[in-house]
Amino acid sequence: MVPAADANKVAQARRHNADAITLDLEDGVAGGNAHARDGVKDAIALSGRGAAEVFVCVNKSSLHADLEASVWPGVRGIMLPHVESAAEVTDASDIVARLERARGLDPGSLSFIVLLGSARGVWGMRAIITASARISQVGLDEGDLARDLGIDPAPEYDPFVYARGHLAVEATAAKVGAIGMAYPLSALPREMPEPDIHSLATKARNLGMKGVICPYASWVAPVNAAFTPTAELVAWNKRVREAFAAGVAAGTAAVPLDGKMIDVPVDEWAIVVLAMAEACAIRDAEKRAALSR
Amino acid sequence: MPVVTPRFIDHAWRRGCDFIVIDLEDSVPQHLKAHARSLVKDAIPKVSKGGAEAFTRINHDSVLADLEAIVWPGLKRVKYPKTEHAEEVRLLDSIITRLERERGIPPGTIEIDPGIETALGTANIFEIAGASPRVREFGASTGGYDYSRDLGVEMFVDFDQFVYAKGEAELAARTLGLGVRGAPFVANTTGSVSDGGRALLQAEAARQCGFHLGGGGLNPAVVESHNQGLTPGQDDVRDAHWVLEQHRRLIGTGETWIEVEGRVIDRYEAARARDTLEWAALCAERDRQKAEAVARTRAEMAKQDPAALK
Repeated sequence: MVPAADANKVAQARRHNADAITLDLEDGVAGGNAHARDGVKDAIALSGRGAAEVFVCVNKSSLHADLEASVWPGVRGIMLPHVESAAEVTDASDIVARLERARGLDPGSLSFIVLLGSARGVWGMRAIITASARISQVGLDEGDLARDLGIDPAPEYDPFVYARGHLAVEATAAKVGAIGMAYPLSALPREMPEPDIHSLATKARNLGMKGVICPYASWVAPVNAAFTPTAELVAWNKRVREAFAAGVAAGTAAVPLDGKMIDVPVDEWAIVVLAMAEACAIRDAEKRAALSR
Repeated sequence: MPVVTPRFIDHAWRRGCDFIVIDLEDSVPQHLKAHARSLVKDAIPKVSKGGAEAFTRINHDSVLADLEAIVWPGLKRVKYPKTEHAEEVRLLDSIITRLERERGIPPGTIEIDPGIETALGTANIFEIAGASPRVREFGASTGGYDYSRDLGVEMFVDFDQFVYAKGEAELAARTLGLGVRGAPFVANTTGSVSDGGRALLQAEAARQCGFHLGGGGLNPAVVESHNQGLTPGQDDVRDAHWVLEQHRRLIGTGETWIEVEGRVIDRYEAARARDTLEWAALCAERDRQKAEAVARTRAEMAKQDPAALK
């Protein structure tokens, strides 16, 4: 996430090796909105010079104007914060569709990242995330959610176990990517040593999250590492595939390996992990090439 | 257990299980599915010889062929994997209803256990659990292989990845008045399926959270742990008697609660104590049934082939 109004940060954003850059018209640019909007078109072009996909986070209160300022060639999608109803999604989608037509973009090409920051949004999650085929990702804005619920989060006690579990399940069921960091950084984001960020991002992945919104550039490297299958995992999953194939050839699909039980879903997951490792390697190469250009 | 591995099926009755799941699904290689189906009818009486109930797990995508092969007298329950919609359960129900009629099985006796192993299954969980009167027991099982694959997570971490899904399952089951299985989080960071010590902790945790039923295990080494952990211990039984004794002191006093040795005894505590005693009696009865079945089977085997018993 980069404040769209901060020219310096926008100029630096593409050097941080993120898979996506979101230009934020929202928080932190209060009062400077009109100015920030004016600069978005150029900021999109600048951010897109690397290999990162570019998104713009718009304001709910100035949705029309922000979308008018943001839907340009080079933008991959829009982040919609504080969503509380399916109607908000379809309204935004209608505006974007009109702008796509008017500005020569492929119809339906822009995707939406939806953020939910209220009880109403969490409760209505299913209707919201199935409201438009544009929605590719959904996350909780836990800072907003804490304010909405009147919670002053303490790092020791995670107040959003239920909401985050609901998110992972509903998003997966709707074939939308759940995104988010693990607690407490999910609600109380701050800079921390890389191993801490890595460990919480790994936890997020193992709760069903498909990515993390990084409020600080320093999060990007450990988050990328956490979402890339390790060499150890790759080696293990290769062994899983071999052991499973040998088991099937010998007449059983339940195979013991290092005290674990390998059967169909374990083999299927091994296929996914190995494919993910390859996809990450390709993406990393793309990003390296773009950076050196 | 995979029905295609004869040594598992042949020895299963000796393990002291309350139920045995004859598997046609993920432990059976694709090219052996038809062969596997042909084995179930004989496997049902084999695995039941020690008093265990015989369950069969069928495949998600070959319901008709699988049910035709498994619905025979002696089958107690059909486990249906990766259930995602109530209609799937209703389809199973209608086919089982026909097969019960055709094969002289008392109508409505074969149960359906819809496994929830995907996010979509959880999203539709209440409708699924209530889709058929044949669903009598419901809830989380011990595995999580399919669910992990669906959510895209690595298993065997040191925090509870499925607390939400398990909570939804329990709420659905309790709301519908079904028998409820539960698996409170006990970390298994090695992924071992044969760790009896961990299995005991898991089963005890389940009992302490008010669950009476387990989902079974993947290795014979955990059977005794599950049986032991889900049976009220002597201390629990003694304590339950004590609670009821204290509660009786309230009779005629007009008081609704009494504090004894720092504990509050009221009708809720008394109800819990009665539940423990009932459950302990049911466990004892079940153990007796199993012991009888084993003795009967051994006697028959001794008659037929004394050498086979060793």
